[in-house]
Amino acid sequence: MPGPIRSWVAVKHGVDVVLARAERATGNVAMDRAPRKTSDFDRNAVEEAVRIREKFGGKVTALTVGPPTAKEALRDALAIGADDAVLISDPARPELDGRGVAQALAAYGRKHPEFDLWFFGEGSTDHFTGTIGPRVAAALGAPSLSYGRRVTVDDGAVVVDREYERELERVRAAFPAIVTVGQEINQPRVPTFMSTLKASKKEIRAVGPADLGVDGAEWAPTTRRERVFVPEVARKRQALAGADVAASAHMLLEALRAEGVLP
Amino acid sequence: MTGETILVFSEEPDAVLGLVATARSALAGTPGRVEAAMLGDGAAARAGGADRLYRLLLPEGARHDPSVAAAALQQVVDLAAPRLILVASTKRGRETAARLAGVIDAAVTTGVSSVALEADGVRIHREVLSGNAIGEEVLLGPNPIVAVMSSAPTGGSPAAAPTEVTDVPIEPGPARITLVERTVKPAGGLRIESAERIVSVGRGLRKKEDLALIQELARAMGAVVGCTRPIAAEAGWLSDDHWIGLTGHRVKPRLYVAIGISGAVQHLVGMRESTIVVAVNKDANAPIFAQSDYTIAGDLYAVVPALVRALTGT
Repeated sequence: MPGPIRSWVAVKHGVDVVLARAERATGNVAMDRAPRKTSDFDRNAVEEAVRIREKFGGKVTALTVGPPTAKEALRDALAIGADDAVLISDPARPELDGRGVAQALAAYGRKHPEFDLWFFGEGSTDHFTGTIGPRVAAALGAPSLSYGRRVTVDDGAVVVDREYERELERVRAAFPAIVTVGQEINQPRVPTFMSTLKASKKEIRAVGPADLGVDGAEWAPTTRRERVFVPEVARKRQALAGADVAASAHMLLEALRAEGVLP
Repeated sequence: MTGETILVFSEEPDAVLGLVATARSALAGTPGRVEAAMLGDGAAARAGGADRLYRLLLPEGARHDPSVAAAALQQVVDLAAPRLILVASTKRGRETAARLAGVIDAAVTTGVSSVALEADGVRIHREVLSGNAIGEEVLLGPNPIVAVMSSAPTGGSPAAAPTEVTDVPIEPGPARITLVERTVKPAGGLRIESAERIVSVGRGLRKKEDLALIQELARAMGAVVGCTRPIAAEAGWLSDDHWIGLTGHRVKPRLYVAIGISGAVQHLVGMRESTIVVAVNKDANAPIFAQSDYTIAGDLYAVVPALVRALTGT
């Protein structure tokens, strides 16, 4: 039986893909002004870490990188069941790119090398590059086990089941290890009123580059985001409503034959 | 005449051919070189017309640990000093790209649909916001890594000179990740990506037995059955082969019939390239209606049988 496990979970306060809207005139989405929320797969990551703690004991720490408003994602993680939370911020650079975020997380991991398992969502809902977890692992020289859909803990090691395009794998690595998880792994619990209230009262530790012994220059962006735009999708949006359902069905089949998509 | 070098890498020989072609078009006729790093005998790099082939002599069975391929590529990057590194945006490709970016400290991105070299960086387009929008970005700094979505190989153009070959031996480090088990997915299963017509079902379906209705309609239309995440990953009523969406399969049939699907953004990205989209849903305000060509607002339990009757003349 494994002893208590120290899990970290990286969460992102990303752009809400449902609420983000393109400006009518330009088709551009103003990402800096778009509503934000906790990235979907990160909730799965928190849930998985909490389940492991419920089984084996230990502690779950949520971490995020971003401006103070990113604390929202940490509150969500605390409400799901994380024990404590850390906000990594650089006042000089409120928004970092993927490399900057990975550098900041790796700097924290170097300064406090106190995790057995570090969970990440497989990708973020807004940008979905899927690179942060393996990139942090590379920076720390830790093994990275990606695309987990089932995670089990063995004595001092983690076993991950995952799926690739053409094959399924079960892999194992000793602690400390970095694991990324997909949506299939679990159904994150919905925070209760009480857990949300409790989460709102917990202290969130804020750290900056100086606290981590770096000057932040290595967090500077290497990506220039030019624009995000919604491509024009021209659909006909023709509502078919006959006198009854049989008539509507006939209208549809006629339309599809006229389009040449049905024999 | 030296020009710039683009390095391409994939663990899948099939993908190398497409990557070489993408690299050639990114060079756009400038006197640059395309160099390929790959496993095996390198036939695909030769066939694609790469100017140089780096044969990665990876230890047997190291594929499950992305740090091994990343370490090999780090050596190649030192040798080739590429302006840009292209990999395939498969699950393993993205993992290797990220790991490599960590070791060489370079910009990296994935899911890229277009790539162009510019004076100060590499301009790319990629899917963002769960596939609802396109992001245009410029990657700066040395050796940026770009994982590109698969493109149909264009046959390649043989290099003017024969492909040069460099062997890259890899010192096997201590194994950090052990492979407990690998199962190759059965081949010849459903290939929903190449379906001409798809009848797809979502949460509107009340129970598993009712799938018979959907299957009957699919049969009558000469279509294959697709589904949303709740039907595959959550309920398990259909296998993942049928799952269409952001983390499922991307499809582009000529006809896509969405039955009882509300149209969550993660599903829409999987089917948005369909030629004609039909939606059947109780709720005329469901987001899928705005993304459809023809819509019927009605109960699928009435509409689907009516469609079957109309198709089969019964």
